[in-house]
Amino acid sequence: MNYQQVEILLVEDSSADAEMTLRTLKKRGIANSVEWVRDGVEAIDFLFCEGPHKDRGNLQPKLVLLDLKMPRMDGLEVLARMKNDARTKAIPVVMMTSSREEGDLLASYQLGVNSYVVKPVDFDAFAETVAQVGMYWLIANVAPA
Amino acid sequence: MRLDLARSLRLKLISIILLTTLAALVVALVAIGAYDLRAYQRNLADDVSTQAELLGRMSASAISFDDPKVAKANLDLLRLRPQVQAAAIYTAKGALFATYDRPGSRLAFPKLPEADGMRVDGRQLMLYRRIVNDREILGTVYLRTDYELVERIRDYVGIAIAVTLVAMLVALALSAQLHRVVTNPILAIADVAHAVVQQHDYSRRAKKMSGDEVGVLVDAFNRMLAEIERRTAELEVSNVELGRQVAERFHAEQEIVQLNAVLEDRVRERTAQLESANHELEAFSFSVSHDLRAPLRHINGYARMLSEDAGDRLDDSMRRYLDSIGASARQMGVLIDDLLAFSRLGRKQLELLTVDMTLVAEHALGEICGDRASSAKVHIAGPLPPANADPVLMKQVWVNLLSNALKYSAKRGDTARVEVSGERDGAINRYRVHDNGVGFDMRYVDKLFGVFQRLHPHEEFEGTGVGLAIVQRIVARHGGKVRAEGEPDRGATFTFELPAAMAQRKENTT
Repeated sequence: MNYQQVEILLVEDSSADAEMTLRTLKKRGIANSVEWVRDGVEAIDFLFCEGPHKDRGNLQPKLVLLDLKMPRMDGLEVLARMKNDARTKAIPVVMMTSSREEGDLLASYQLGVNSYVVKPVDFDAFAETVAQVGMYWLIANVAPA
Repeated sequence: MRLDLARSLRLKLISIILLTTLAALVVALVAIGAYDLRAYQRNLADDVSTQAELLGRMSASAISFDDPKVAKANLDLLRLRPQVQAAAIYTAKGALFATYDRPGSRLAFPKLPEADGMRVDGRQLMLYRRIVNDREILGTVYLRTDYELVERIRDYVGIAIAVTLVAMLVALALSAQLHRVVTNPILAIADVAHAVVQQHDYSRRAKKMSGDEVGVLVDAFNRMLAEIERRTAELEVSNVELGRQVAERFHAEQEIVQLNAVLEDRVRERTAQLESANHELEAFSFSVSHDLRAPLRHINGYARMLSEDAGDRLDDSMRRYLDSIGASARQMGVLIDDLLAFSRLGRKQLELLTVDMTLVAEHALGEICGDRASSAKVHIAGPLPPANADPVLMKQVWVNLLSNALKYSAKRGDTARVEVSGERDGAINRYRVHDNGVGFDMRYVDKLFGVFQRLHPHEEFEGTGVGLAIVQRIVARHGGKVRAEGEPDRGATFTFELPAAMAQRKENTT
């Protein structure tokens, strides 16, 4: 595994969505190093350097793109754990979901999500959204050192 | 009780007997006494008169011959009559001729004789009688005797009292024995009556001891008892029947109460089931719509990626196929979005405020048209009456109605017109959106407000057929009504009415 600086952690159970997201990020030249995990458990392992990621080093990603509905552990729980731990608290988290459900939206903001984005059906719109999110959080936004 | 009754009966009977006896005795004694006293008085008067007459006759010659000794001797004969107190003979001139007085008494004689007659003075009877011989008055006889009426009366009273006492004693003794003849049958009836009252035993009967009035009473009493017994039996039967009916009714009422409770439970249960089914349906449609979006996104995404990556290797028709895949996916996405919006509508809580409908309609128009010229086609004949409604939902209504009107009148080009008006009508506010577009056939008016119901082909007019369904749902949630009128090629008019003051009714989110 490549333990260079991971810029974006993509937590997404749908390989299609993941592929579309990765393609957009690469094509637009926003991120070269994107780590893709398929559910919440893997995301936690990665973030807290556990299990298969225990030798990852301590460098944290600059952005986490988090799907909401996932097997084993869903996005809300990952978000809750991240925002409750000093090691991960400062990492910007963008919820990328198909759900417009108000309960999810409210819960996410209450847990301290940094952004909540509904994935558009149209691919162009989807690509544009992903690009904007990446551009903003990786390039426009000033993060603590 | 029986003792009291017996005592009072006996007392009454004895009292009656004694009183009757006493009354009879008194009447009898008084009558006898009165008769006797009268007889005594008459006898005494006759006796004294006869003696005076005799003395006069005997002494007439002595007076004529002026021989007082003979007269005295005559008078002395009165010694045989001890009740004579005194006697005297007067001459015709009124001088005392001879006197007699009862031994042991010395009484004065009147100086002069009085006229013929008898006089009672206290306990004395005095009598004067002329001595007449050949119509010549020779002198006067004077007699004075005891008059013992008072003594006689006293004796009589004594005897009467004694007789009365004896008679009463006898009567008492007799009645004390004889009253039983009367009281016993009555007491026997009383005993039976008492037993009947105490034991409620109406089968008892009094024994008939005689054929007299008491016997009649016993018969009447027994007949009465028989009647009461019969009635009581009837009453008991009807009581039992009544009790049975009451029990039945009670039972029936209990059953009704139970059934009602069961029914209410069932209604509650069904309502809860319905609510939860409704909820589930909402959740289901939401999650289905939501879950459908992901594959759609992927279809669209991969078609697009294919088009991007292999675009130069595809011919026109291949590219058109790919575009169609993308367009269809997008269209389905819009459908799903609309369905989600419609589904969300049912869950949104109404926030009722006073809404300036003119302003909201203008905002809606601005949202639809942006800065485009199409907004010039819309004329709002304001001011519209303010509504008591949820402002967000009202804006949705205006957006849907106005975009509909613009969409279906777009073919008219510059002559397209959309008229918005409104008025207050009593307790309701009415709003109207009229366009001069393609209109519709009134035969299909019912389909207009159904979800995904469309009257025009998609190729001709874009849209999913949810807009009017949303309008109807919002208006209905506000307690209002919406209706449509139209004619093919002559335009359409959509009218919705809202209650002017919407009651604070409980709003269900489902």
